[in-house]
Amino acid sequence: MRKVSIWEVLFVPLFFLLIVYPVLAIIGNVTMEGMIKTFDDPIFWDAVKNTLVTAFFAALLGVLMALGFGYFYIFHPGTIVYKIADFMNDLPIALPHTVAGLALLLAFGRNMFGFIGPTGLAFTLVAVVLAMFFVSYPLAARTIASAAEEIDMEQINVARTLGDNPQKAYQRVVIPLLGEAIFSGFVLSFSRSISEFAAVIMFGGNVPGMTQVLASYVFTKVEEGEVSMAVTASAFCILLSLMLVVILRMREKLHARSAESA
Amino acid sequence: MLEAQNLHKSFAAHRVLKGVSISVHPGEIQVLIGLNGSGKTTLQRVLTGILEPDQGTVSIGGQDITALPPEDRRIGYVPQHTALFKHLTVRENILYPLRNGRGSEETFHEIVKLLSLEPYLEWKPHKLSGGFRARVALARALVSAPRVMLLDEPITEVDRAKKEYILPLFREVLLQLNIPVLYITHDPWEAGQIGTSFLVMKDGIINRIDSPEEAFALIREQARINGE
Ligand SMILES: Nc1ncnc2c1ncn2[C@@H]1O[C@H](COP(=O)(O)OP(=O)(O)OP(=O)(O)O)[C@@H](O)[C@H]1O
Ligand SMILES: [Mg+2]
Repeated sequence: MRKVSIWEVLFVPLFFLLIVYPVLAIIGNVTMEGMIKTFDDPIFWDAVKNTLVTAFFAALLGVLMALGFGYFYIFHPGTIVYKIADFMNDLPIALPHTVAGLALLLAFGRNMFGFIGPTGLAFTLVAVVLAMFFVSYPLAARTIASAAEEIDMEQINVARTLGDNPQKAYQRVVIPLLGEAIFSGFVLSFSRSISEFAAVIMFGGNVPGMTQVLASYVFTKVEEGEVSMAVTASAFCILLSLMLVVILRMREKLHARSAESA
Repeated sequence: MLEAQNLHKSFAAHRVLKGVSISVHPGEIQVLIGLNGSGKTTLQRVLTGILEPDQGTVSIGGQDITALPPEDRRIGYVPQHTALFKHLTVRENILYPLRNGRGSEETFHEIVKLLSLEPYLEWKPHKLSGGFRARVALARALVSAPRVMLLDEPITEVDRAKKEYILPLFREVLLQLNIPVLYITHDPWEAGQIGTSFLVMKDGIINRIDSPEEAFALIREQARINGE
């Protein structure tokens, strides 16, 4: 018999107990009754729609900003703007997202943005997008920057000698070469946005049918004692995230294959 | 005429160019010979405007271009390892300068024919052999109607046997242009095949020499001192 290493003994049981089992616990607790109640709840579908729409715009904004960051990475890496932006990319890793939400609330809420409405930007779908963006943008930025690092800079130099200013060289050479990373960056920040709860609830609020997203819907249903509905909505989230992971993996495989044939 | 005067360039404490001056006349192919790491590419990058010199000036035809960005210098550049645009076909690579209003379809066809590139126009660069990649990189620079040509070891990735017929081809094409050409190599044999005059780079400065063999003697001594 093959000798089993201590690392296998450590990994296999803990992985199944601590990661797989909780996911299965959700699936195993889905009931017919809970499904019917949830899928009949228009508020649930509002939450689904809000989640998908806000995460889409957050990811879009994230990728656009990440491309701006990539431009600084390539053309102005010595500037203070780049250095601050680079540093800030790592900040949300350690920052509690409640703090991020509170920061956004103070910055764009009633006090500073009262001219827009009674609560400023807070507790609107825009706030939800901004909260999602705040926590997901660094992922997109790092994805773009690490792909930009791989690009042969001499291509950019040649483009310059052929008449491109930095902006043109970026758009004609760098962005097309980033293609794959732009897609991954989008899916990653979309996924991160869907999963965000704390920052969204602090700044966007949790108004059913208005700013409620799937993450906050699950929370509310647990609070209301509607556990079967919370479980159904959670299973829905698991399916959604599985789909996103599959999309990312498929793209990576396709990419690896096209790189092989290259 | 391409002229550089007293160029200095350091990377942090590492002084690479220590007062380089050159002048290349139209119709001349000056070959710059130097050891690995002697600063040849750094000089090319200062000439193209990709790097800023710490001191010194660059001029073309008497016009000081030291402050001009690369896109306004009209210098054709064939870099080390060719740097073809990976995402574009050979045709799109060579036509690239037309996007900026440089060159014409006419010169494109002429150059493609001259360098025998017709069969490969729809290929992606990674499928080409080293020799054809070098031809495409040369064609792309030529189509931009440059005032000066700089080539940085353009055929390092080419087999020796193929070098023997690609070099005369490149020489003929470059001489036809009748513009100043600066060609970098660390191979004295290649230098002799392509060049009309010769420079050697050593200790951060450049000296004119009479033959590639002389360069070889100079840099051999340098290599021995470096312990290589
Ligand atoms: N961007 C940079 N930052 C720091 N050091 C650099 C940079 N570019 C070049 N150098 C250093 O400057 C020296 C000269 O490099 P350069 O590429 O100009 O040499 P080269 O003569 O072209 O060599 P090779 O024959 O290998 O191409 C080297 O020691 C190199 O490490
Ligand atoms: Mg070099």
